[in-house]
Amino acid sequence: MAVKIATIMIVLLLAGFPMMVPLLLGAFYGFYDLFNGFGKMEFMVQQMLAGIRPASLIAVPMFILAAEIMTRGQSANRLIDLVMKFIGHIKGGLAVSTATACTLFGAVSGSTQATVVAVGSPLRPRMLEAGYKDSFVLALIINASDIAFLIPPSIGMIIYGVISSTSISELFIAGVGPGLLLLVCFSTYSIVYATIKGVPTEPKATWKERWMSARKAIWPLGFPVIIVGGIYGGIFSPTEAAAACVLYALILEIIVFKSLKMADIYSIAKSTGLITAVVFILVGAGAAFSWVISFANIPQEILSSVGIDDMGPKGVLAVISIAFFIGCMFVDPIVVILVLVPIFVPVVEAVNLDPVLVGTIITLQVAIGSATPPFGCDIFTAIAVFRRPYMDVIRGIFPFTVILLFVSAALIFFPQIALFLRDLAFR
Amino acid sequence: MASSEGEKKQYRSTLPGFLGTLDTFISRFEALILAGGVILMAANTVINVVCRFIFQYSIFFTEELNRILIILITFAGIGYAARYGRHIRMSAIFDILSPRLRKILMIAIAIITAITMFALCYFSIGYIIKVASSGRILPSLQIPVFTIFLWVPVGFFVTGIQYALTAVKNITEKDIYLSTHVLEGYDDDELEV
Amino acid sequence: DTWKYAFEEAITDVQGVFATKFKEELEKNTDHEVQLYPYGTLGESADIMEQAQAGILQFVDQSPGFTGSLIPEAQVFFVPYLLPSDTKELNSFFRNSKAINENFKDLYAQQNLELLTMFPEGEVVMTTKEEVRSPSDLDEVKFRVMTNPLLVESYKAFGATPTPLPWGEVYGGLQTNIIQGQENPLFFVDSTKMYEVTDVITYAGHNNFTTAVMANKEFYDGLSDEDKKAIQAATDAAFEYILDYQKGLSEQAIENIKKAKPDMKVVVLSEEERAPFKAAAATVEEKFIEMTGDSGKAILEQMKADLKAAMK
Ligand code: NA
Ligand code: NA
Repeated sequence: MAVKIATIMIVLLLAGFPMMVPLLLGAFYGFYDLFNGFGKMEFMVQQMLAGIRPASLIAVPMFILAAEIMTRGQSANRLIDLVMKFIGHIKGGLAVSTATACTLFGAVSGSTQATVVAVGSPLRPRMLEAGYKDSFVLALIINASDIAFLIPPSIGMIIYGVISSTSISELFIAGVGPGLLLLVCFSTYSIVYATIKGVPTEPKATWKERWMSARKAIWPLGFPVIIVGGIYGGIFSPTEAAAACVLYALILEIIVFKSLKMADIYSIAKSTGLITAVVFILVGAGAAFSWVISFANIPQEILSSVGIDDMGPKGVLAVISIAFFIGCMFVDPIVVILVLVPIFVPVVEAVNLDPVLVGTIITLQVAIGSATPPFGCDIFTAIAVFRRPYMDVIRGIFPFTVILLFVSAALIFFPQIALFLRDLAFR
Repeated sequence: MASSEGEKKQYRSTLPGFLGTLDTFISRFEALILAGGVILMAANTVINVVCRFIFQYSIFFTEELNRILIILITFAGIGYAARYGRHIRMSAIFDILSPRLRKILMIAIAIITAITMFALCYFSIGYIIKVASSGRILPSLQIPVFTIFLWVPVGFFVTGIQYALTAVKNITEKDIYLSTHVLEGYDDDELEV
Repeated sequence: DTWKYAFEEAITDVQGVFATKFKEELEKNTDHEVQLYPYGTLGESADIMEQAQAGILQFVDQSPGFTGSLIPEAQVFFVPYLLPSDTKELNSFFRNSKAINENFKDLYAQQNLELLTMFPEGEVVMTTKEEVRSPSDLDEVKFRVMTNPLLVESYKAFGATPTPLPWGEVYGGLQTNIIQGQENPLFFVDSTKMYEVTDVITYAGHNNFTTAVMANKEFYDGLSDEDKKAIQAATDAAFEYILDYQKGLSEQAIENIKKAKPDMKVVVLSEEERAPFKAAAATVEEKFIEMTGDSGKAILEQMKADLKAAMK
């Protein structure tokens, strides 16, 4: 069955069907096959609805809305102007800032999709203006946003911790090392890219200019305060911080800057809803699809045929990495963690691996999978928000995937990248 | 990403007579659910924070209301996205085919997608009946769970109709259409949504 | 045949241990095979319940609290201080209760479910940032509860600000101080690491988390007498096993927690300290009757009678 479903999906995908169709027909076939006919098809609908229901997903439309208001108004530009006055003269400075902004925003908001929108919408036009190619810009935004999985708070790590009975605090600390390593690698690549492609720099700003732009950005600087201060200060959950940003953005753009009218808000909300729907229907279809895979015990069957029980620790880590990498290529990362972790827990215990290390590696694979074609939530979000064709969005991803795979291999051979900080704090 | 310019060019159905009026009306209604749903969700969430902090009182149904809204937004949105050819697809191979093949393939895509949507419409009605007969209610709002799914079959049906019309349009006209209003290729910015 | 059995917790938690034992027994004594699906692999609690009602799953474990949206009377298990905190009395109640074996069996049957058994999962404890000795200590404490009207009512009565938060946000919420407390059975506090983000565990004795195992009724009714017997036997074996398993469980959980976090404070409230909580709980019973009417009242009375019998 697994082979048939995979074939159906790949053929339909390549033929240019709307992406929900391969997922839906894959699930369709699964339900038909499992229950000998159309008798239980309504559970496909149940699972689609279950897929879009998790409370953590609500942050996505909220951050999209806030970002769109900021971008169409003046807030975003004022903030970026400020940053540019400080780093505009450095080769690759804008790209490095974008990567850093994605990492920080993603870390705090806990949603990679929200990050793609919130950081990507205002910064992408600037990067294009500055002379970066769109393929590079899109790939950078998508991949840097996924660093968020590794930096606390991370929903993926919480769920892994609960299922595998691993300390969540230790997981959180262990994620920081690889997360920062990724940021460093992406930044290095950005500087190399900017140098080779000869992306021009801006003249160095004077302190007076910097001061001027700081004054213009004083109101919009409230956003990082709301998000960082609000979440770490115990005032908001990430979803609520997003909604608070919407309110603040409305106040700034409508009352303070007078750059938007109420009518604009309606059209921004509409376009936010549209982007949300286009992405969420895929999340829902993916959930129906993964139900089939899970119900039919397909992961267990594949893994037992691999012979994981006879492998050493490094072999097990490699198999886990590959399994999560592939799983996240097709369905939502959280679902993959829920389905695969229980299968791996006994094996991990048997070969005496550190569950914190395993959790970090799994989270890294989840990050990679979400940014890697064919199916990837963050790719979908970028397509929906920036309105670029699929191929344009994924064109520049390859170098980033290479970096990511390099880091995950490094993690298998040098676990200290993850465990150093953990040991410092807990051992 | 979008300018307000496009607002001038509002959606007009290509269906004749009463059906056209109905289709135009549904499109407006979808837009209203999309925008209204998103705005309500933001308001709902903000009000809960304010209540918790100022009045020491958490609104117990905030989470449920947001879940209802996200279902509404998603299923109003898929129909709307279908009208404007905004559903995500991978067109790498499609794009290098000859126009004739592209046209045939597009007709097949539209028909198969429409059938898939109609089937899901049918199955979602089945699911709603199942949930309704179980009598399940939402724990906080205490309303029957099936009511929050009522827009789901409508969303699938409207989407199915849009793809069916796209197939018809591709059969009857010379050009290749991604949706009833959008020619293929991504320079669809003239019609802003 | 291959039978499918889904539950709401991880395989190593109480429901998972019960399911594993059930599977072992059944596979030992029959030719059937049982496949287990832990939390999240086939959807949330409500999803697996629907799947069991439709016969996609043959067995399902769902706590009556969650079944409340389907069978309102099942929320009786959320009424505080109804169940005894004495283990012997509690076990005797679950073994012999007429409310469970007759009243609830009928109610579940109306939902196309064959109630196989109900069993306790462990005493519910509060974990908070500050010590809780009396309802006034819960003043201005934002306390996370499941979205259930009776739980919300309970914690309102206890003096806290009940704050329904999705499970995925609880750990982060405690860490960042959006909420300052949550309740769960002790083993769950251990396995979900709630102790990492709170400082005090309080035994207020207000509840014991109960769960129920069911089979799809059509499936069950269609089985041979031999299979039915085997299922009953496996259920009984797993039931006794889980009661036994629980004996050391609380101590084990406390030991784990103490080992991971030596300065974690554990407070067992005295009878006097519990009194004001008990008094506050009376309003919750009223609310339960208001929500479920005569049928709920009947169940409540039957349960009280059963409990009286269990105390002898
Ligand atoms: Na994060
Ligand atoms: Na992917």
